[in-house]
Amino acid sequence: MNAGGAPVMVARDLRVVRGKRTLIRVHHFEVGSGLVHVLLGPNGAGKSTLLKALNGLEQAEGTLEFEGRLVRGSAARLALRRRTAAVAQKPYLLSTSVLNNVASGLRFRGVRRSEAHAAATEALELLGVAHLADRKPARLSGGEAQRVSIARALACDPTVLFLDEPMVALDPPTRRSLVNDLLRILDHRGIAAVWVTHDRDEALAVGDTVTFIEMGEVVQSGPALEVFSRPASESFATFLGLDTYLEGTVIAGDSGDLRLMLGNGKELACGEAPLGHAVACIPPEDVVLLTTAPEHNMSLRNVLHGTVRAVLPDGRLLRVSVAAGDLEIAALVTKAAFEELGLSVGSPVAAAFKAAALHPIPRLDRLQQTP
Amino acid sequence: MHVIWEGIREALRLIFGGDADVLQITLRSLWVSGVALLIAVLIGIPLGSVIALRDFAGRRFVVTAVNTGMAAPPVVVGLLVAMFLTRNGPLGQFRLLYSTWAMVIAQVIIALPIVAGLSLAALQQLDSGLRQQIAALGAGRLQAFVAQLREIRIALLAAVMAAFGAVISEVGAVIMVGGNIKGQTQVLTGAIVQETRIGRFATAIALACILMMLAFGTNLALTLIQQKGRESG
Repeated sequence: MNAGGAPVMVARDLRVVRGKRTLIRVHHFEVGSGLVHVLLGPNGAGKSTLLKALNGLEQAEGTLEFEGRLVRGSAARLALRRRTAAVAQKPYLLSTSVLNNVASGLRFRGVRRSEAHAAATEALELLGVAHLADRKPARLSGGEAQRVSIARALACDPTVLFLDEPMVALDPPTRRSLVNDLLRILDHRGIAAVWVTHDRDEALAVGDTVTFIEMGEVVQSGPALEVFSRPASESFATFLGLDTYLEGTVIAGDSGDLRLMLGNGKELACGEAPLGHAVACIPPEDVVLLTTAPEHNMSLRNVLHGTVRAVLPDGRLLRVSVAAGDLEIAALVTKAAFEELGLSVGSPVAAAFKAAALHPIPRLDRLQQTP
Repeated sequence: MHVIWEGIREALRLIFGGDADVLQITLRSLWVSGVALLIAVLIGIPLGSVIALRDFAGRRFVVTAVNTGMAAPPVVVGLLVAMFLTRNGPLGQFRLLYSTWAMVIAQVIIALPIVAGLSLAALQQLDSGLRQQIAALGAGRLQAFVAQLREIRIALLAAVMAAFGAVISEVGAVIMVGGNIKGQTQVLTGAIVQETRIGRFATAIALACILMMLAFGTNLALTLIQQKGRESG
């Protein structure tokens, strides 16, 4: 990924209001040049509305700056749209040839037909679909049509590319290949992207930064890995599939390390967090199942002994629930590892994980309610 | 039966013999309906588009009015136009009653709601996502409007065909405001009524055949364009 530079777009106090309903309220959002910014969140969270507000398709209150200039009024929003491009969930191709479709953005910008067609041909070649130039949209497969739609956006040589769940209708192999091609082109050309998705795996795969949105507001924003490893709210943790939650209080240990004291008095080493009431989550892929004592050189500081309560398939892996006293820990393991350990429901097992894997989320709501 | 055969034989003679009266009536029909259709298209498509794409107070009422206009009986339109154009009417000073322009006005009023109503319906059915995509591609207001019309061009042609069918075959309004004056305001439909009334079935059949051929020929041409548009879509 490109290292990125100064922000090309800055939104402050952005609000989209429809009737009496506030659809989104975003205090601050920046699009860094050459970076892929993922807007992540459940359906109806307001991701697409924010995308449209950033793209000048939706009228919004607040301030929006693009390349240092304030975007205000319909003429400025049109100028913004002519410096950016958008790809929607559906390809939305016009009923004309593929070549004309890909050239259409440039034609709207007043570029001469011959030049627009040359740029369109180049964009089609870049996406590997130049052979479709004379085809009509009705005769394209879903994957081909979305490639054409992306070529149409890239032909405009945008500063920022807005993508609204562009892979949602594609099968996994088509999606993988298109994501790879698109990321390569974005990186090569230094195009910034704002990429809406509700797919956490896609977000992690494509995003330099991730902004989690819920009920029209930004819950958390930051570098993708950091955001994924340290969700700031229970709802985000749930969204990420971190289904082990341990409620307790973060305290400082004797040697200054942080510990989560559970309700039953048990203490576990945990990652960084403010002291106080918290709900901690553990990514299931960070939990290791053991049938023997952990080796000394392993940095698994937390070991909970219990029995296998349930085993459920999760894609190519198995999601194993371990009941350890009144706690329940989920672990993701391969089928081979599960068989190697000789596990079955009811087998004794230890669930072990590093301190950093136990991420306490401060329960601010409860702290505020505490008199 | 003999009358019908005689009529058909006479009709063929009139059509292929290049009868001056029949030719004149045919050309007048084409002129009146053609001009009316052109005006209706020039006003109706933008009007339908504004109603479809803009939100304004009383929009629902306007849509209802347009839809009602699509079903307006031609005699009612003829009555209204005659009332306005009669010597003592609001537009009497222009002395248009019993002229071909009065017939054009009546036919515009008949065709306009059809063109506007069908354009409106077609634009409303256009996927709002496509509309947004056109805007996102950097289209200005006029460019976006033209691009959307291109997307509904097949439906627009259907609207033109429906409007032409309505005005070329319409008889009530043209007789009321044109007077069905032979050599001046008589068009195919009015002439068929008159010839039938006086028992000249042969001429009436000839004129009816021409009317049918006009309707068929025009619709065939438009259908060919429409289907070509569909294939290239």
